[in-house]
Amino acid sequence: MANATIHPDQIYIDGLANNDSAIIQSIYKKFVPKVVHYIRNNSGDEDKAQDVVQEIMILLFNQAKAKKLQLTCPFDAYFFLLCKRKWLNEIKKSSNKGVTIDADLPSINESTEEMVTETEVFDEKQQLFDLMFQKLGDKCQELLKLSFTIKSMEEVAEKLNVTYGYVRKKKSLCVGQLTQWIQETNRFNSLKTN
Amino acid sequence: MNEEHYILFENYLSNELSAEEKVNFEKQLAEDPEFASAFEIFKELNLHLENKFGNEQELKAFKKNLKSISKEHFKVKKTKVVTFKPWQYVIAASIAILVGLFVFQNINPSFEDYDNPEMATFTQRGDINENLKLAQDAFNAKNYKTAIPYFEAVLKAEKSPEIQYFYAVSLLEENQFQKAESNLSELKSGTSIYKNKATWYLALSKLKQKDYDSCKAILLTIPDDYEDYDQVQELLNELD
Repeated sequence: MANATIHPDQIYIDGLANNDSAIIQSIYKKFVPKVVHYIRNNSGDEDKAQDVVQEIMILLFNQAKAKKLQLTCPFDAYFFLLCKRKWLNEIKKSSNKGVTIDADLPSINESTEEMVTETEVFDEKQQLFDLMFQKLGDKCQELLKLSFTIKSMEEVAEKLNVTYGYVRKKKSLCVGQLTQWIQETNRFNSLKTN
Repeated sequence: MNEEHYILFENYLSNELSAEEKVNFEKQLAEDPEFASAFEIFKELNLHLENKFGNEQELKAFKKNLKSISKEHFKVKKTKVVTFKPWQYVIAASIAILVGLFVFQNINPSFEDYDNPEMATFTQRGDINENLKLAQDAFNAKNYKTAIPYFEAVLKAEKSPEIQYFYAVSLLEENQFQKAESNLSELKSGTSIYKNKATWYLALSKLKQKDYDSCKAILLTIPDDYEDYDQVQELLNELD
């Protein structure tokens, strides 16, 4: 994966990360109509399509910011497949009745599938991390928020009116608590799938 | 894992272990899968939080921009799918002929042929900014003179490309060229979604002042993926 060549469509990813209006507009113009068409033909409407597209764009923004998302396949197929799968998951969630779904396009290649899976895993992880963060006590939440916004631990200590040593220790323990919960969830999930 | 482990993780990540402690730490990583997997999660959480809180403002700006581009995109599409009944085609064709005759009579294209300001829809979002509401109503009723002071009051409180664009169009309608052009130029050099529209209106301002050379020069800077590029093309053809 690391050695794979970066596709020229990487400009769309970089444009999203830089909040470049011209690039975002061209994504809407070139790639969104296909998504709208698909969702409309699969028990959705234009408003639903608008939401799905925005969610995927925000996801790509986050992934690009976090790990420097590197595109190894055309943006078109990647973006379409992400939107499509998100939409299918949504209808699955909201109804128990069977939905008629088009069969997967046979032209999807391996590298596109890999990229899509990677982004979906990133999405799931983010959601899990956020969920666990919400479970933390107010003190931990505040301290972590400050430490990752301000960066200088001396300043954080000053702001919270505690010592530098205390802030550092507390930060480790708060992240430690999250680590423990996530390990437990992972263990639980692997029990479920095995 | 216990508290000591997490403190050790943090010290390792912030590079505060002695050389010896570091060697021991890495040895344990290699030998103890439980330890290694906990450290992996700990590290990932740090990256996640860094991203979540470090980019909070950027994410907010991105979401705002995305929303307005999305709204614009879907609005444009909706207005384009108006369907005509057969008799409406007849009327449309007659109007087209009349307009054609009218345009033909003028040797040079005129501002009025191309000036077609879109409706302002600021206050559908449920905000209750009184000045903004008044500006919107006056603008949509083409009472530009009335709209201008309201726009000024709104911009004084909070500057946004959208309001600035509609303000500049009002100024242009009222022949306040200098003020209109300075606002449009500012939008032209920005990165908002009003960049191309502002450039288009800047060209129209030159057209209104019968400065055809400048008008043409500005038109040529508009990229061809601009949503109303057919208008640009048409005006360029007429100027030739």
